[in-house]
Amino acid sequence: MTTRSAPGGPSSAGGASPARRAWGGFVVFLRVLRANPLTLVGFLLVVLLAGAALVMLTVPHLLTPYSVNQLTLDYNQAPSWHHPFGTDGTGLDIYAMVLYAIPIDLAIAFAIAGAALFWGGALGLVAGFWDKPGTLGGALSVVILRVTDIFLSFPSLILALAIAVSLGRGVPQLILAVLLTWWPFYVRLVRGETLAVKHLPYVMAARAAGVTEGRIVLRHVLRNVVEPVVVYFTLDIGTVLVTLSTIGFIGLGVNYPFTPEWGSMISYYQSAGLISAYPWTVLGPGLAIFLTVLAFSLLGDGLRDVLDPRSRRVLAGTGTGGASSTSPSEREGATAEPSLNRSGLPEPIPTASRGVSSP
Amino acid sequence: MSEPVVQIQNLSIDYVIGAGRFRAVSGVSFDVPQGHVVGIVGETGCGKSTLAQAIPRLLPEPPATIGEGSVIFRGTDLVQVPLWKMPRIRGTGINMIFQEPLNSLNPAFRIYDQVAEAIHIRRVRERGNLVVDRREKPPFDYSRRPTATSGEALTRSVLPPVAAEKAARHRTDSDGTIRGEVLDYLRLVRINDPETILNLYPHELSGGMRQRVMIAMALSEKPELLIADEPTSALDVTIQAQVLTLMKELIEEVHTSILFISHDLGVIAETADELGVMYAGKLVEFGPVAELFEHPRHPYTKALLGAAPTRYKSEGPLATIAGNVPNLSHPPSGCRFHPRCPIARPRCTVMPGPPLELVAGASEGHRSACYFPEEVASIP
Repeated sequence: MTTRSAPGGPSSAGGASPARRAWGGFVVFLRVLRANPLTLVGFLLVVLLAGAALVMLTVPHLLTPYSVNQLTLDYNQAPSWHHPFGTDGTGLDIYAMVLYAIPIDLAIAFAIAGAALFWGGALGLVAGFWDKPGTLGGALSVVILRVTDIFLSFPSLILALAIAVSLGRGVPQLILAVLLTWWPFYVRLVRGETLAVKHLPYVMAARAAGVTEGRIVLRHVLRNVVEPVVVYFTLDIGTVLVTLSTIGFIGLGVNYPFTPEWGSMISYYQSAGLISAYPWTVLGPGLAIFLTVLAFSLLGDGLRDVLDPRSRRVLAGTGTGGASSTSPSEREGATAEPSLNRSGLPEPIPTASRGVSSP
Repeated sequence: MSEPVVQIQNLSIDYVIGAGRFRAVSGVSFDVPQGHVVGIVGETGCGKSTLAQAIPRLLPEPPATIGEGSVIFRGTDLVQVPLWKMPRIRGTGINMIFQEPLNSLNPAFRIYDQVAEAIHIRRVRERGNLVVDRREKPPFDYSRRPTATSGEALTRSVLPPVAAEKAARHRTDSDGTIRGEVLDYLRLVRINDPETILNLYPHELSGGMRQRVMIAMALSEKPELLIADEPTSALDVTIQAQVLTLMKELIEEVHTSILFISHDLGVIAETADELGVMYAGKLVEFGPVAELFEHPRHPYTKALLGAAPTRYKSEGPLATIAGNVPNLSHPPSGCRFHPRCPIARPRCTVMPGPPLELVAGASEGHRSACYFPEEVASIP
């Protein structure tokens, strides 16, 4: 892995540029991956998916000889070398359609979860931070939370289905339908985290230092809230995909075969009543959904370690087992390594003894 | 005595919890003279911290409410200032160091980011009103708001050296960048190898170092008044001594006035010029620290001094004050100390109790809230 040559946080940091910090974070991330094989599997799957999506958007013929919706002369073929997931009754190659669905499914899932994260998160932050009764913020907070409660009191899938029915079929309609039921969870999550963080002493210390309220929210609170939220977001991508598939399965999603989408594929072939005769038609999209959900779930667990400065430094210090001490520009340089023992476990306060003893 | 930095007049703070309402601080008045260290001592729950947090309006309101009184700072009554204006006064005007050094730094940011933010706040304000001596301007006239966007200066030195800033009272040997100044202040609080410390997260520092970083942050804003709320109580004795020595030196270097809250008489004796003694939400005695220690004029001060363990008395039980701290929702009538006082008389139970008045015959500025200050010396 590339950690060996990593400059990490350069010795000139402090005023380090965002780019160098991002690089340092990436190095830590690679170490997390190395320490945690399941996260590595998840990360590789996500990279694979993202790569496949990119290829399918640009040069799809690298992965499949067929264009989207291109009919072949083979129909109802079992999986073979030429048709890895077989073909359906009209001669569509299932493998090609599954591949063409990757960018669409990922885009829909990210659009829904991302928009829910943004809007739900913003509302949750406001509702959590300005919740003093009797003020404008308190009133706003109550409004946000009651509207959230109303949305949460419906079963979200049923609500999404109802909205999807009223909006009709299509990708934008599907996104809107799921999004409308998805944001309240983020409001609750972010509000809860904000409530916990805003009473911590460092928020009051920031206030005492003259930091304005807006800046306290956007800098001090948000940064400490973001960690569980991003983890939840990553796991949520998988949940959104499953919900999409469910909606597609009921026949309300996007219009397959005109637009390839996994859930709708399963629905389409299932409703043709041919699952028992030609089971491979649903095998491909089912496998794709399974792997994608798995990938994001595994990745989400590992992300928590990257985002927490505590575990991050531990990983950064122990990850390479001596590699970092060979690089003079490494963040810790030669000073960090001696304070960490070779078994990979950090001492309780690794850096307090780092040549910075009290005067 | 020089002109006071802050004047606290008849300040009362209530906590409203459910239907109950009790007065945590009642009718406290004192001044913090410029360049002085004023100590406030008292038992746990006597209202010291409430008082400390009320001055920069950091108390959560509700449940706390400032019942009456005023806090005069820069010619303005802070009690009347709307809360949304307070951030402009905090930091560079009144800054605060808290009890919990372990939690007062944001765990998500490196030391550099935290100190740089404080310096950035000060620089923006100095540029906002290009007058180094803030007293030349009318209070709160920050109409010329800074134009720099806040994010950029944290990572790079985008702020050009301003002529006024060059003439600032506390000269540093830095190159004028924020990073240079961060290093200066870390050196100022005697942190070894500040270049390394810059890149560390708070959890990687010891308690004493975190407290010193907190002090560096507070000082880097060059506040007119620094409120230190038991800054050393979470530290062990050796670190405590270091931090105290450091603070005393810093008072000389960076001219700032300090309000020092503590329950530790030794710490106060070490640090303060004037001392206020609080009991059950009231200031019972206030005066020069040596005078108070030598000739206390309130029975509570006398008892408190008697209860302080000394190294000369190694045998026998530690001295205590008989009785308990009163419940503030039902304080005793009259003088609040009378149920525990050895020289209490019927007059002491009469409302509204003894006022905090200058003691006849004592040195200048020595005030006591006792009807019989001259009898205190005769208490065994």
